[in-house]
Amino acid sequence: MVADILTCNFFELFDVPVAYELDFDQVQQRYRDLQKIVHPDKFVNASDQDKRLSMQQTSRINEAFNTLRQPVDRAIYLLKLKGVDTVQENSTTMDAAFLMEQIEMREALSEIHSAEDPLAELDRFSAQIKTSMQGLMQNFSECYAQEKLEKAQELIKKMQFMQKAGKEVNELSAKIEDELY
Amino acid sequence: MALLQISEPGQTAEPHQRRLAVGIDLGTTNSLVATVRSAEALTLADESGRHLLPSVVRYGVDAIEVGEAAIEHAVNDPSNTIVSVKRLMGRAAEDLISLGKSSPYTFSASDSSVPKIHTRSGDVSAVEVSAEILKTLKARAEATLGDELIGAVITVPAYFDDAQRQATKDAARLAGLNVLRLLNEPTAAAVAYGLASGQEGIIAIYDLGGGTFDISILRLRQGVFEVLATGGDSALGGDDFDHAIAEWILQQAGYEAVPGASLVRLLMREARSAKEQLATTESVDIAIETDDLKWQGALTQSQMRELIEPLINKTIIACRRALRDADVTAEEVLEVVMVGGSTRTQVVREKVGAFFKREPLVSIDPDKVVAVGAALQADVLAGNKPDDEMLLLDVIPLSLAIETMGGLAEKIVYRNTPIPVAKAQEFTTYKDGQTAMAVHVVQGERELVEDCRSLARFELRGFPPHVAGAARIRVTYQVDADGLLTVSAREVTSGVEASVDVKPSYGLTDSEIETMLRDSMDNASDDMHLRMLREQQVEAERVVEALDAALQTDGEQLLSAAERSNIDQARQQLVEVSAGDDSDAIKTAIKQVEGACEDYVARRMNSNIRNAMQGHSVDEYAGKDQE
Repeated sequence: MVADILTCNFFELFDVPVAYELDFDQVQQRYRDLQKIVHPDKFVNASDQDKRLSMQQTSRINEAFNTLRQPVDRAIYLLKLKGVDTVQENSTTMDAAFLMEQIEMREALSEIHSAEDPLAELDRFSAQIKTSMQGLMQNFSECYAQEKLEKAQELIKKMQFMQKAGKEVNELSAKIEDELY
Repeated sequence: MALLQISEPGQTAEPHQRRLAVGIDLGTTNSLVATVRSAEALTLADESGRHLLPSVVRYGVDAIEVGEAAIEHAVNDPSNTIVSVKRLMGRAAEDLISLGKSSPYTFSASDSSVPKIHTRSGDVSAVEVSAEILKTLKARAEATLGDELIGAVITVPAYFDDAQRQATKDAARLAGLNVLRLLNEPTAAAVAYGLASGQEGIIAIYDLGGGTFDISILRLRQGVFEVLATGGDSALGGDDFDHAIAEWILQQAGYEAVPGASLVRLLMREARSAKEQLATTESVDIAIETDDLKWQGALTQSQMRELIEPLINKTIIACRRALRDADVTAEEVLEVVMVGGSTRTQVVREKVGAFFKREPLVSIDPDKVVAVGAALQADVLAGNKPDDEMLLLDVIPLSLAIETMGGLAEKIVYRNTPIPVAKAQEFTTYKDGQTAMAVHVVQGERELVEDCRSLARFELRGFPPHVAGAARIRVTYQVDADGLLTVSAREVTSGVEASVDVKPSYGLTDSEIETMLRDSMDNASDDMHLRMLREQQVEAERVVEALDAALQTDGEQLLSAAERSNIDQARQQLVEVSAGDDSDAIKTAIKQVEGACEDYVARRMNSNIRNAMQGHSVDEYAGKDQE
C-alpha cells in the first residue's frame, strides 16, 4: 500500500523496512518507478494545478532518495523518526581515542603536500576513511536495531567527522590536480 | 464567439494526430532545429539545404539578418554584427568587461541591470539577439512542417547558472516559442545516443562547443536517463582555441598595438579555418593581408597542440571532478560520447580518450546530436508517445546558497542534487527588535559570497520584533524541472511572507519582456489583448477538459456529494465566463476551479500512484508491505 507521497516517511515512500540496512537496488528501482509517474515531464500538457503538485511530489521523492542514499543523512533521519534531533543535540561527548585519531589524521593531511606521491597518499586516506565509515555504519545499524539511541547518536557524530575528513581529502586531491596541470 | 472556433494546433486535433514540437540547439557558433518525423529525429534545413544556422545576427540598415547573410558582414561591420551572443547571456555589465579586450561591441549604459549592445538599430540585449536566432529557426520549422508549433525543447549547457537559463527562456518567450522544457545539452546528446544503442550502464558525455564546455556522467536504465553528476565551464570553448591561435599570429607578426575590431574578427576567422584544416592535415599556411597587418606563415599540428593544450587540460580536470562527484571510476564508464564541433580537433579526442582509457564515440555528427536528442524529448513531452518509458532525471550544476553574517555563502541546495528539488532552512535575527531581514541568493561553490554569482536580493519585512535569535525565518529554495529557482521566506511565528522568482539581477523583468513583445507587434494593444484572452481561453478549455475526463474516471469514488456539487458549480462558472472576453475574469474562474479541486487532485494523484505500483508490489516488493 502506497501512502501519500507528501506526508508518509521516506521508508514508506520507497516501500522498504524502517532500518539502517537498505536494499539499495530496490530503492533505485522504486525511485525510477515513482519518477515515471509523478515527474513534471509527465504533466507538460496538464493544468497548472497538476503541474504544481507534480513538482512538489517529485521534489519530495528526490529529497527522500538523497536522504536514504547518503549514510549520514539516513542515520540522522532514522533518529529523527524516533524523535531524536541530532543536528540540535550538541551534548554528546566523543571518546578520547577517536578524537586523537582524528587529530593525527588531520596532521598527516596537512603535511601531504611534501609527500613523494601526494595523490597516491590521498587515495590511501580515502580508502582508510571508507573502511572506518563502513565500521561505523555497521555499529550504527546494530545500535539502532537494539534501540540504543544514545550510542547511535554518538556514532552519527563520528560518521560526520569521517564524512568531513573525506570531503577534505577530495578537496585536497582537487587542489593538487589543479597544480599538476 | 468566433474566437473559440479558431482551431489551435494540438487543441482540437484528433487524438492520433501529431502535435508539432521541435528541439532547438541554440549554440554559440551554430544553431539547429530538429523534429521527429516518421519515428525518426532529423534536423531541418533551410531553403538552400543548409542545416546549421550560424548564430550571427546583423542589425543592417534596412533589416535584421540572421545566419549566413549576417556572417558575411562580421569583418566589415563588426559593431552591428553580433557573433557568439551565447557568451553574453545572463551576464552582468561587469562580467562583460572582464570577458575580454577583443569585444567589438559598444555597450550602452542602461537603466536595467541587463547590459545592452549599441547597434545602428538601437540598443539590444543578448536576450533580444538570441530571440532573432530562435525566430529564424521557428520560421524554418513552421515552413517545413506546414503548421504552427505547439512548443519547443531548448537546450542549454548543463553548466549554465540560473541567470543564464532564465535569459534563454526569456529569449524563447520573446521569439514566441512555448518552452516545453529547458534541456541540458549533454543530456540531450545522451538521449540521442542512448536510444540509438539501447545500451544500459554508465556513460560520460564530453561536450565542447564554441563557447561552453560540459561533462555529464549518466546512468541509463530501463528508459531512464539519470544524470549522476555534471561539471564544466560556461566560458570555455572552441572560440578560445581560435583566440589562442589569433594571439599567436599577432605575436609571430610582431604586432604590438591593440588590434581593431575588424582585424580581430578577421584573425578569428583565419584562426578558425586553420584549426579546422588541422583536423585532417599536418600543417596549414596562413596569409593575412590588411592595411593594418601583413603576415604569412604556417601553423603545424604540434604548434597548435601547444597553444590549446592548457585549455584542454582544464576540461580534463573537470572530467575528473565529475567522476568523483558521481562516485564512479573511469573504468566503470561504458562509453564516452563526443559532442560539439570542437571535439573534431584531434588533440581533444586524444586527451579525452587517454583519460577515460577508451576510444571516444563519434558516430553521431557532433554538431547535430544535441538538436536530435532535444527533438526526441520534445516529441515525448508534446504527448505524441503516451506509452513511452523514456524519462530524463537531471541535476543542478552549481550549489545554491544564501548570504549569512560575515559575507559567507551557506549552501542550501548542493550541486548535483536531482531536480526538481525544494529545500528549506531556518535562520534567525541577530539584533534585538529586528523586524526585517535581507535575503541574498547566490550560486557557486566558493565559501565567500563575493566569489559566487549573485542571483537575487529581496527583503522580508514587517514581522513582529523579537529578542535576537528568537525570530524563526524559514527560507525555501524551489528549483523546477528547467533548473530555475524560486525563493520564498516566511517568519514562522507570525506567518509574514515574501517570495521572489529569481531573475531580476541580470534577467529581464516581466514588464520589459511585455514591452518588447508589444513593440514587435503591429497593432500593439489590441493584438496583445486578444493574445492574452486567447491564452486564457485555451487554458480554460484545458482545465475543463481535464476535469471532465477525471470526473468520469473516478469522480464517483473519490468525491463526496458536497465536494462534487462545489466542483460542478465552479466548472459551470468557468464555462460561462470563458465565453466572454474578460481575460482576468477567466483567470479568476480558473483559480476557483483549482481551489475547489485541490483535495481531489491530490487524491487522484495518490490513487494513480497506488494503481501503478500495485503491479509491482505483487512481484518485486512482495512481502515488504507488512511493515
